[in-house]
Order: sequence, then structure tokens, then C-alpha cells
Amino acid sequence: MAVTTSDVIGFIERLEDDSSKLYYEMAEKYPCQKDIFLKYAEECEKSKILVTRTYQETITDALEACFSFKGLELEEHKIEIYVPKKTSFAEDLKRAIGMEEKAIKFYEEVIECSRGLLATIPNAFKKAAKIRSRRTLELEKLKNTSII
Amino acid sequence: MTVLEEPIKKILDIKNYIDNEWVESEGETVNVVNPATLKVIARVPISTENELNEAVDVAKEAFPDWRRTPTLIRARCLFRLKELVEERFEELSRIQTMEHGKTIDEARGETRRGIEQIEVATGIPSLMMGCNLEDIAAGIDEYLIRQPLGVFGIIGPFNFPFMVPLWFAPYAVAAGNCIVIKPSSEDPISQFKLAELVEEAGFPPGVWNVVNGGSSVVSAMLTHPDIQGICFVGSTAVGRDVVYRKCGETGKRVIAQCGAKNFLLVMPDADMEKVIAACMTSFYGNAGQRCLAGGNLVIVGEGLSEPEYEVFYNKFINAYVDAASKIRVGYGLDDSVQIGPLRDRNKKERVGKFIERGIEEGAKLTLDGRNIRLIGSWPKDCFLNPSVFEDVTPDMEIGKEEIFGPVTCVIKARTFDEAVEMIHKNPYGNAASIFTSSGKWAREFQYRVECGNIGINIGIVAPMAFFPFSGMKNSFFGVLHGQGQEAIRFFTESKVVIQRWF
Repeated sequence: MAVTTSDVIGFIERLEDDSSKLYYEMAEKYPCQKDIFLKYAEECEKSKILVTRTYQETITDALEACFSFKGLELEEHKIEIYVPKKTSFAEDLKRAIGMEEKAIKFYEEVIECSRGLLATIPNAFKKAAKIRSRRTLELEKLKNTSII
Repeated sequence: MTVLEEPIKKILDIKNYIDNEWVESEGETVNVVNPATLKVIARVPISTENELNEAVDVAKEAFPDWRRTPTLIRARCLFRLKELVEERFEELSRIQTMEHGKTIDEARGETRRGIEQIEVATGIPSLMMGCNLEDIAAGIDEYLIRQPLGVFGIIGPFNFPFMVPLWFAPYAVAAGNCIVIKPSSEDPISQFKLAELVEEAGFPPGVWNVVNGGSSVVSAMLTHPDIQGICFVGSTAVGRDVVYRKCGETGKRVIAQCGAKNFLLVMPDADMEKVIAACMTSFYGNAGQRCLAGGNLVIVGEGLSEPEYEVFYNKFINAYVDAASKIRVGYGLDDSVQIGPLRDRNKKERVGKFIERGIEEGAKLTLDGRNIRLIGSWPKDCFLNPSVFEDVTPDMEIGKEEIFGPVTCVIKARTFDEAVEMIHKNPYGNAASIFTSSGKWAREFQYRVECGNIGINIGIVAPMAFFPFSGMKNSFFGVLHGQGQEAIRFFTESKVVIQRWF
């Protein structure tokens, strides 16, 4: 099924919103690591702004916006994002890492699909993916060093 | 399927904007209908001649002070307007979808294109600069200055209700003129909302006026002695036979951007997948209601033997029809949708008549868009799915005239020369494109083709705000075009001063 640019941007907005919510919840659940998770939540909000702004600033007739993401299946990239109440810190970190990896995979696919668009669009996706990659490494490190 | 929230919750009563006041019209009102849902979303007045005269009077009165306002201060009004439009970007885009029918991606693209015009016009201190030369003779210098002219009329079309008036308005006011805009009465909400932002941006009274209405307002504009020039975008019949003629009679400057029948050539060496994506947008985007939309798709067999050409043609056309048949049609606020409805029932009926005419003329209707398949449950009144005609010849009505709907007319041409000849025989000259990987054919196309806007591997040849929106033959009447530097020249008089001091 063909996907419009608006569809993809809407998907990213929801993804970053949900990710941000997840980290706010983790910040509340784990006060000792509050600062780290609040930083992650803010990063997600910034990624959303970056992608939306880039789209709004570059969208034109020349983009073939309704026909750009051929072959992309958004359904396959849907991610369940939540923090269960009775789970350990390690389990929650593992869940967050899984979410980040899926999101990175999604970004990698949309970067490929959007190469034909103005460079600013795949570049914005790349930046959002890079932030998530760095975050994944930090979460891994946190998981390995955590004593909670 | 998710439908984005509609920004218009109750029926809007559109007013005229004259002298920075919101003025009720004495004329009768007509409904503005969302073509996807058929719900009435606004009522727009058909203003009287007196109301137009009143707007021109206040514009004329505002002109002396506005032209004396330094260019940087005029530019600051535009900077503020740009910021306000950015803040309301999403709302303005969704309004376009509601009043016109286009998809939300297309509407956002239109908003951006409109903003770009304002951005370019903010460069007015540089754009409006004249030039000088010392010592044209002993001790004598000569210089050129650009001066604004007074009041201009801007007549907008229905297909780009937000953007098209902005091809002219920011340049006109930046140069020190005052304007009266008449939006299309079919979708006037965008200009109504824009005028709210103009008010907030702090333009002085009388500089930017909006008078809603129909042909009586246009007629009054064309004959008004205090209007110095007219910018019009619409059909060739009105642009050439009414606007251009009347402006000639009354001595007004004119930009009349009119109809089109744009040819897109596909050469055998073109990148097929990319051509098809570009053509889907070109022929079907905005439901085909663009003056830059593809009209005829010419499959060129240059350098191929007859059997090779058949293989190339069939491979291309099968992929093309397959892609067209998969296009998702529905309400533009559903962001999975790729084509919205036509603006109204009459426009759909007109396209339907062209389809019938094509069948009568002997063209083969390979894909019939009258079989309506929608995403979501919407009234089908204004919708059409994509159509593809094969075996079209350039002398058929569907090969010659602008359909202004989601229809591709496929024409065969054995050689490049034959294809170019087809373009030249057509009375229109708005845009033409070639898809090829050969620099030689691209250069030849650009050099020879008599059209104002030329695309090389581009489906929609929409010039950016800093270039003129060109056009030739029956697609354009006037001398200078809208947008960028040419618009500045249109909205100013060149005054030459030669001076010597004894």
C-alpha cells in the first residue's frame, strides 16, 4: 500500500509522543534515574518538532508528497509503548531498548524511502535515528551497571 | 483511516475587508460547500459594484502615505505576516482541504508556496533598487528609479485559494501599492483567514482589501479608472476575451495566467519508476485541477524499431495503469488519501463529459475513473477516481483541450520531432516536460519547445517564488509575469532621471 508523506509524519509524531510519555513514566517510577529519563523524554519532543518543522518547511508540489513512500507498511512498524506497573528496572530498560531498536529500524526504512525527496527530510529522519541509537547505547550501559 | 480534526466547526459568515474593517455586504450570499462531505462550511457575499468602488477609494486614499513608508518598514509588515501564517500553518492548510478538496499534503504544500512568496517579497529594499551610470555625457549622470503606481486588482482562481493571490499581493504592497483582492467565491475562506492575519500584522488601513463576489465585481474592477493593473488567474476564455481585452481598452497593466494543456514526453531511456511517481502527482494531484497538471502523456519511440517500441509502450503503460488504479481517493483530511474530490459537482460533470467525448472520438478508456472507489464513506457527488485514455491523438478534443480533472491522455509518437510538433500545434503553452536520461534530448527540448515552463524529469513545473511564473500562447496574456523580480517590475514604473549641475 502506498503511504503519503502526511501519513509518515503523523506516524512519527505519535511515535515520538508515545516514546516521550514512556520516559516521563519511567522518570516517575525510578526517581533515582529521573534526570536521565526526563532528558530522554525531552529529546523525543525535540525530535518530533524537528521532523514536523522540516516537513512543513519543505513540502511543495515538487515533492510528489502523496506518492513518495512506495512499499512502506506502517502497520508493520507499530510499536506498543508502555511501562507495566509490576516490572523490575532491568525489565523496563529491556523494554525501552526494544522500543528504541524498532523505532531505529523504522527510521532506517523511511530514510531509504525518502532519499528522492529534498535532502532535509531524510536528514531530519537521520538525526532522530541517531539520537535513538545513542540512547540505546546509554540504556544498555545503564542496564549492565544497574544495581536496582 | 484517521480523519484529522476539521478547523471549521460552524458555518462562517464571510465579510469583506475594507480599510481594515470587516464589512457586511449588501449583496446576496451563496454557500461554500466542502466537496468531500457536502456540508455547508461558509456563506460568502456576492458584493455590489458600490462595495468594490468603496474598496478602491480607500486603497487610493491610502496609497500616498503607503508609498512614502520606507521599504524596510513595509517589509516588516510582511515579516510579521509571514510569522503569523507560520503560526497558523496547520489551520490554514486544513481550511484549504475543507474548502477546495485537495489532500492535506497538497494543502500544506500550497501554504508553504504561499509563505515563500511573502518571504521573497520581504527582500523589497534590494528587489526595488534602481540603477545608475555616471557620465553618460560630460558631467551628466543618469539613473533609474522604480515607483509604485497606485491600486491593483487581484482576481483569484478556485484551484489554489490560498497561494495564487500571493503570487501578486506581497510584491504589490511591498513595492508601495495598495490592493483589492477578489477571491474565488467557490472557496473564499483562505483569503478571509489571511486577511485576519493581515490585520494582525499591522498593515495600515486601505493597503490590503478583500472584496468577495463574482463576475460583477470583476467587471467593476476591469473598468474602474483608479485601478492601475489587474492580475488574473483563470480560464483562457475569461483571461483573453474579457480581462486582457478590457485592460487593453482601459489602459491597465495586466497579468492574465490562463488555461493549459501540458504535454509530458517519456523517452525510452527514462527511469520508468521515477517517471510514474512524477506522473501520478502531475496528472492526478489536486484532482487534476492545476494549470501545471499533466494533460497529455506522450510515449516517444525515438531510436526504437516498431517491435521494440511496442514492448516499451506496453511495459510502461501497464505499470502506469497499475499505479493509477491503486491511488487512494477520499476526503483530503484523511492523511492516507492521495487524491481528494473535484471542487464541485459541475466540475465533475464537466470532466465526465470529456470522458464521454473521448470514447465517442475513438480513444480507448483503459481505466475508467467513473467507477468510484473511496477510502471512507463519503458522498460520491464530487469524486472521480483516476482515468487513463489510450489511443488519443492530438486533434481529438480530449487531446487538445484542458480537462481539469484526473484524466491521463496517452499519445504515441514515434520520434522526438513528432512529439515536439504536437506541442507546437496545441494552442496552449503553459508547461511541458521531458523524462529522459539524455542531456542531448533534454537540451533540445528546452531549446525548441514553445512553452513558458519547461520540466526536465519534473512532473509539475512550478517555478519557485524568486522566478517568474511563465506561460506562452493561449496560456498567458500580458508582458511581465507574476512572482519575483518580474512582479516588482509589473507593480512599479521605471522612471529615468538625467541630471547635470552647472
